[in-house]
Amino acid sequence: MGKKVLIVDDEELVRNYVRRALASRGWEITEAADGAAALKIVVGGCFDAVICDLKMPDMRGEEVIRKVRELCPGLKIIAITGSVSNIKTPLAPGVEVEGFLIKPFGIDEIRELLGRVTGA
Amino acid sequence: MTSKANILVVDDEPQIAEMISASLGVHGYSVSIAYSGEEGVARAGAEKFDLAIMDIQMPGMDGITALGEIKKVDPEIEVIIATGHGTMGTAIQSMRKGAFDYLHKPFEIKELLKVVERALEKKKFNDITKAIFSTIRPEEQLRVIIDSVTRILKADESLLALADKEGRLRTAVSAGLEDEAARNSRLEFCSRLLALPEGQALKSVLPVENPGGDPRFAAVAGIEKVKFSLFLPLMEDDRLAGLININRDEDEAYFTEDDLQRARIFGSLVSLALRNSNLYRQLQETQGQLIQAEKMSALGQLAGGLAHEINNPLSGILGLTQLVLENTPKDSQNYTDLKDIEKAVFRCKKIIVSLLSFSRQEKTRVEQVSVNEAIEETLTLCARQMELQRIKINRHLAPGLPPVSADFQQLMQVFLNIFTNARDSMPGGGELTVATSLLKDPAGRELIAAAVTDTGYGIKPEILDRVFDPFFTTKEVGKGTGLGLSVCLGIINLHKGSIKAHSSPGGGSTFTITLPV
Repeated sequence: MGKKVLIVDDEELVRNYVRRALASRGWEITEAADGAAALKIVVGGCFDAVICDLKMPDMRGEEVIRKVRELCPGLKIIAITGSVSNIKTPLAPGVEVEGFLIKPFGIDEIRELLGRVTGA
Repeated sequence: MTSKANILVVDDEPQIAEMISASLGVHGYSVSIAYSGEEGVARAGAEKFDLAIMDIQMPGMDGITALGEIKKVDPEIEVIIATGHGTMGTAIQSMRKGAFDYLHKPFEIKELLKVVERALEKKKFNDITKAIFSTIRPEEQLRVIIDSVTRILKADESLLALADKEGRLRTAVSAGLEDEAARNSRLEFCSRLLALPEGQALKSVLPVENPGGDPRFAAVAGIEKVKFSLFLPLMEDDRLAGLININRDEDEAYFTEDDLQRARIFGSLVSLALRNSNLYRQLQETQGQLIQAEKMSALGQLAGGLAHEINNPLSGILGLTQLVLENTPKDSQNYTDLKDIEKAVFRCKKIIVSLLSFSRQEKTRVEQVSVNEAIEETLTLCARQMELQRIKINRHLAPGLPPVSADFQQLMQVFLNIFTNARDSMPGGGELTVATSLLKDPAGRELIAAAVTDTGYGIKPEILDRVFDPFFTTKEVGKGTGLGLSVCLGIINLHKGSIKAHSSPGGGSTFTITLPV
């Protein structure tokens, strides 16, 4: 069985291509369109990685990441974002991620990064 | 005097009123009579008078009341009170209400004339003060100053010279000097004086008689015409900022002690007015920079939000394009087209990153940054516009330059301003050359120089040293704020660097920026 990844982004267009880029590499994909849905899914299942957008309508991506960390400490997290106010320290203090990508990113970039952080 | 003052006599006794009117008329004043306080107020409201001579005791409205009313309808009018039963009380009361002076009846005509002259002199100074302080536009203000001083000192000609940055005197305005040769002669006259010990110590007015025969001014061309001269220094914070040269051409037309006193008062007025307008301009400049900062902040917020909005769909375009590419044979037209779409997305991404780094509104953040990188980032922002306008960009960026301590965004702002000006000066296309190099200043310190050269229409020599002035613009109304280069200068000064403009009309312009390593 392939490894499992959860994609959290309110932008359907982004989920769409990320899903297809990873599915063709053997990843098993689950999608969430907002933070609340993402947390519900994480509670109910087990994942190897989460790809999480930082700006969503219902809650900040950082909050989602923090809660996911509490629920599943060993899980690998990649943050993605379209707006960067400070490239050197893009995340709020105390929030740590294994990987970070700035939109627009290509399919090879996300494949390579996910593979690297999960050791797949 | 060309135009004699307009005087209103207010007295209920016709004989006295007519006697005063006749005596003033003889001395060339234009006089009107009102036979009651009410009539006097009405006349002053309907016509412009310089001075009113007012009787105190009149049936109906008395003089004191009329004085107050007249000052209401025309605050600038001077009023002399004439009183037949002069008690100190009424005198004081009238002075409090704004009378210039009072006369006890019966008075001698000579006495009257003296008071009238003094009142008019005060009025004239008030008018001049108002005129000088009413404008801060340098050209206009200097014009008012030279015209006023020529008039009040009954001069035939005068010249106002200001010291430039190197301390050399330059003609700013003149009156009664018809041609360039005459102005240059008086400028030379001023420069000679300043070279003398008495010129260097000049703090107040200095009269010079018959300068043509004065060995100190030997061989100043065209000076023989002048019979009597007066020099009036313009001080700014104890420093000589300029000099007014006032000349009379007639024999015997020497400057009296009264003239010197007038000149002294005038000189201090002018110094005050110049200082005032300098301060005002500094204030405007600061305000301008604040407005600019405010605009940048708004742009920064807009760009941040915009980037997010654009980057999401852009990410979709990129990802989907690449997904389709994976299933497209490399030798097909579709493959080439999709590759072009992919390239276009990368170009958009680069532009957005540059826009963000340019407009990101943070406090000044000084870091070790690369000047070449700031130039490259900025060129990314304007490359397309340049291309559209058929402007070729030449990069001569020296490799391996040391970093400078600077705020990256602010450097980008400076380059963007200069590139935009260059573009605007080449509406029909041309070349923009950006060159960087490592230099050493005379003290041996390393500097990075960035020279931006265009092939546009250049800058006229007479405005070259004004291009960094706030609000100075040659662009049409609404096209430029006139703040761009002054903000650049501010930024570069903050970085302890320098920015200079070189140009020849029709031969393009070069802006050179140096920054300490």
